[in-house]
Amino acid sequence: MAKQVIFRILHTIGILLILVVILFPLYWMVAASLKTESQIFSIPPVWRFTPHFSAYAQAIRQDDVLGALLNSLIVTVGSVGLGLLVGAPAAYGIARYQFRGRRDVWFWYVTNWMLVPVVVLIPFYLTASRLHLINNLIVLVLVYQVFVVPLVVWLMVDQFRSVPIDLEEAAQLDGLGRFGVFLRICLPLVKPGIAVSAILAGIFAWNDLLYGFILTPGRSVRTAPMIVLTYLGGYIVPWPKVMAGATLVCAPVIIGGIVVHKYIARGLTLGAVK
Amino acid sequence: MKRRVARRAALLHKEEDFRTMRKWGLLAATAVMAMCTHAWAWSLKDAAAPYKGTSITVVGLDRPSYAAAQQLTPEFTKETGIDVNWVTFPYEDSLKEETLNFVSDSQQFDVILSDVVWPVTFVDAGWVLPLQHFLDDKKLADPDVDVKDFFPVWRASFTVDGKLYGLPFDSYAGLLYYNKSMLKAAGFDSPPATWDDLLKTYAPKLTDKGKGVFGYALQSARGETQTADAFARFLWPWGGRFLNIGKKEILVNDAQSQAGIEFRQSLLPYMPPGIVSDDHSQVVEMLMQKRVAMITEWSAFYPTLSKSPIADDLGIAMEPKGPDGTYSAFGGFAYMVSSQVPKAKQDAAWLFVQWLTSKEMAKPLIEHGAVVARQGADEDPSIQAKFPNLAPMVKTWETATVPDWRPQLQCYPRFSDIVSDWGSRIELKQVDVKQGLDSMAKSLTAYMDSSHCWEHTNTPEKYMKQD
Amino acid sequence: MDETSVVPMTGTADEAIPVPLSERLAPWFFVAPSLILLLAIGLYPVVFTFVISFKYWVMGMGAPEWTGIANYLSALGSSDFSDAVVRTLVLVVISLPVQLVLGLLIALALDSTHIALLRRLLQICLVIPIAITPAVVGLLTALMFNQQLGIVNYLLGRIGIAPVNWLGDTTNAFITVILVQIWEWTPFVALVLSAALATVPKDIEEAAMLETERWWPRFRSVQLPFMWPGITAALVFQTAFTLKEFDMIYSIEKGGPGTATEVAMLQIERLAFRGFDIGVAAAESILMLILSIVLARIYIRLFYREID
Repeated sequence: MAKQVIFRILHTIGILLILVVILFPLYWMVAASLKTESQIFSIPPVWRFTPHFSAYAQAIRQDDVLGALLNSLIVTVGSVGLGLLVGAPAAYGIARYQFRGRRDVWFWYVTNWMLVPVVVLIPFYLTASRLHLINNLIVLVLVYQVFVVPLVVWLMVDQFRSVPIDLEEAAQLDGLGRFGVFLRICLPLVKPGIAVSAILAGIFAWNDLLYGFILTPGRSVRTAPMIVLTYLGGYIVPWPKVMAGATLVCAPVIIGGIVVHKYIARGLTLGAVK
Repeated sequence: MKRRVARRAALLHKEEDFRTMRKWGLLAATAVMAMCTHAWAWSLKDAAAPYKGTSITVVGLDRPSYAAAQQLTPEFTKETGIDVNWVTFPYEDSLKEETLNFVSDSQQFDVILSDVVWPVTFVDAGWVLPLQHFLDDKKLADPDVDVKDFFPVWRASFTVDGKLYGLPFDSYAGLLYYNKSMLKAAGFDSPPATWDDLLKTYAPKLTDKGKGVFGYALQSARGETQTADAFARFLWPWGGRFLNIGKKEILVNDAQSQAGIEFRQSLLPYMPPGIVSDDHSQVVEMLMQKRVAMITEWSAFYPTLSKSPIADDLGIAMEPKGPDGTYSAFGGFAYMVSSQVPKAKQDAAWLFVQWLTSKEMAKPLIEHGAVVARQGADEDPSIQAKFPNLAPMVKTWETATVPDWRPQLQCYPRFSDIVSDWGSRIELKQVDVKQGLDSMAKSLTAYMDSSHCWEHTNTPEKYMKQD
Repeated sequence: MDETSVVPMTGTADEAIPVPLSERLAPWFFVAPSLILLLAIGLYPVVFTFVISFKYWVMGMGAPEWTGIANYLSALGSSDFSDAVVRTLVLVVISLPVQLVLGLLIALALDSTHIALLRRLLQICLVIPIAITPAVVGLLTALMFNQQLGIVNYLLGRIGIAPVNWLGDTTNAFITVILVQIWEWTPFVALVLSAALATVPKDIEEAAMLETERWWPRFRSVQLPFMWPGITAALVFQTAFTLKEFDMIYSIEKGGPGTATEVAMLQIERLAFRGFDIGVAAAESILMLILSIVLARIYIRLFYREID
């Protein structure tokens, strides 16, 4: 009994330790956004300070972070939406049919996931420029499909497999067509999978920097991470403002993560269902 | 504000002139008026009239000069009706963005930003227009543009094949920034005059490793910082050179160059240990946090440092002298006009560049935190009194630096990359100085020969003597 | 594993009963839209890059010219590239196992905690590291690991450890990158594995409980088999992430000091966008792509029977 108590205490301490390690950098970021420049760097560190919100005001006023957040939102929702629209049926097709080339099709998605961005970047830029799509948010929605679609397919194949086959057969007997079965019966049952692939694909789309800098550099179409990281030049880093911007950029994603976290256990079963 | 008042005063003055003139009789008045019309016919507003509603895109960086320019840009739009969109990149990305823009002919940018080492790249590829084209156009050229008012070293830097391609903006000289109280506490009333003093007299007394305080810090992060700030800075004052373009020779491993880089290595014990990874921002931060006593940084950092906790202790001087004289760091930018965009945009772009770099705008820009290369403004005692970085900067440009402090090569990006690569390895002591410089020279020679880069070069110092 | 009830509806019909054309085409009806999209967006650039990899093309210095396999020779002959690839693989080999082990421990801890609040909190927090923009993670690293002014050395100092030159020393800088990568990605691995753990049927788990009190045999014979697919998926996922890693490492110190943290992506990017040597960069990209496909194939062969 005593052994079990000790185990539980250690167990809890372990989890608390994990929490601290995960959360400390986040705290440091938010704290830095509320400190003054010299407080950020003072050693020993300033633990108690009067928070200044001026860095947020600056980030919003000077750099139009809010406009950029809106751009990011448009691009993320657009690319995740498109990815789900084409990816979910594909996953269903792979999960439910035996057909020649199925394995290769599946592998083709994984290959796209492996694609290094530099490969995509130059050809994509040249084509987009020929089509006058530079500085058009659509181009980001399209290019993000390179990782959104594979992710959606990968996660969703498994989800569709976990739907009991009897359910589908019964629905078919009731006169629903194949597509009807997919739409009315299966999709509602794989909500956790949709939620999880949406949030994960959304995170990658939201956080992209490489494509954004090249394809949509214009001031009015910049995405949120681009604004924060214009300072990467290493010349002068206005730390409070950068950290305020970074906090604003991360906040929506973290909130999204919190919203879907309860689905994760059911939605992230990569290949686990046989 | 002051500027507007001045302008109005000038106008009033002219009106008064007219009133006096009237008394002289109709004939004379007409004659004089005709002359006057000729002399001040040009106004930005009239010149811009055909381009009203045009919108142009300007490439900028996240540095103080561009922030100042962006703050003042609405005045230009108000006057001209030309819309100005700023796009801002990290420095390290800007050349990539502009090159992709040109290679794909995507016409994103009208006003092109050129680092002092890029003109030959842009000009050889035919991406930018010679400015004479605009200067000769009576409708577009402000009679008061006064190109000669730019410092000669700056005009030369943006002259390729005898033609001027860019008007300087955001112009720097390397300066020595130091903490007066720290120096005083160590018994020094003035900053070191020579690098030798800095190393042998100043640095040892200012360094206290136990307290984490160091005499000097040299920004050495890989990339252009390593090449320009950490490498070139220790070539020239020792008589070292990157190359001899005429003889197609790489000189980074000759005796003088080696002496300079050896010297740099001997400074390491007085610098913070992580220095090889530190960029401008960290070094400036360490000076502000009193962790180092001296840094050599661009003149453009004054506005940042002047707002820091050490503002009252901040001393500014020219960079120290080496055995072969004073050759301070030289860097900065100019604005050019894209050759790929439609003519109306080019003209509007020119009007913007001309306005931004004009004599009239120089002082407001400086007041807003920019650094410009206009002699009239930079040498103005009233401005110098407010901005102590200007006097040593002017003196540096006039006496202590060269326009090809970094070589102007079409293949400069890769060239610089190789220098930065081996420069970092030497600084990290992964190779000894001689060995590292030999390898650097070997790579550079191989690259210069194989890429036919020797044929695409510019030697701007010859344009210094022309006027 | 065949005891589960999921059998593809058209099953093994391919060989036996003739299937009507409409049924044969049905899967393609579902798959086609995404395939077409990916062919346009994924395949076209690869083909383009493949073609460019046989050309001499330095941006801004004239039009591309055919040069045969010269770019591949120069890529394979340059120690810059091979060093960067080795660094990348070292990163994979060190960081991945650590992520898996820690991720597994966290997943098990999450599974077995009795405090509901703690469980939820941890579940939420595991999302945070991947939610923070990788480039911001890099900037934060530069801030926190700064030798003079960083919090990490300060905290180490409090427990009596002398300041570590995290970013200015070649070995330490690489260690820093590994540490940060582990921080960034272990929670994701933990999430994947805890989802896999949740697929272990409760009755089997309870039956095993009755059989033995000891943890290890239960884990090995009951939980682990259900986790293999998750582990493989995490491996493929993380390998891809590590091979593609750019933003985080770049924003710490651009691959420095020297080239100490210059992984393959950084090296290719440097060549392509700082040296503008597009031809050689394209050749290197193709080589990297081949490497990652081979790795993915190996993983899937070894552990992933899911798609058979």
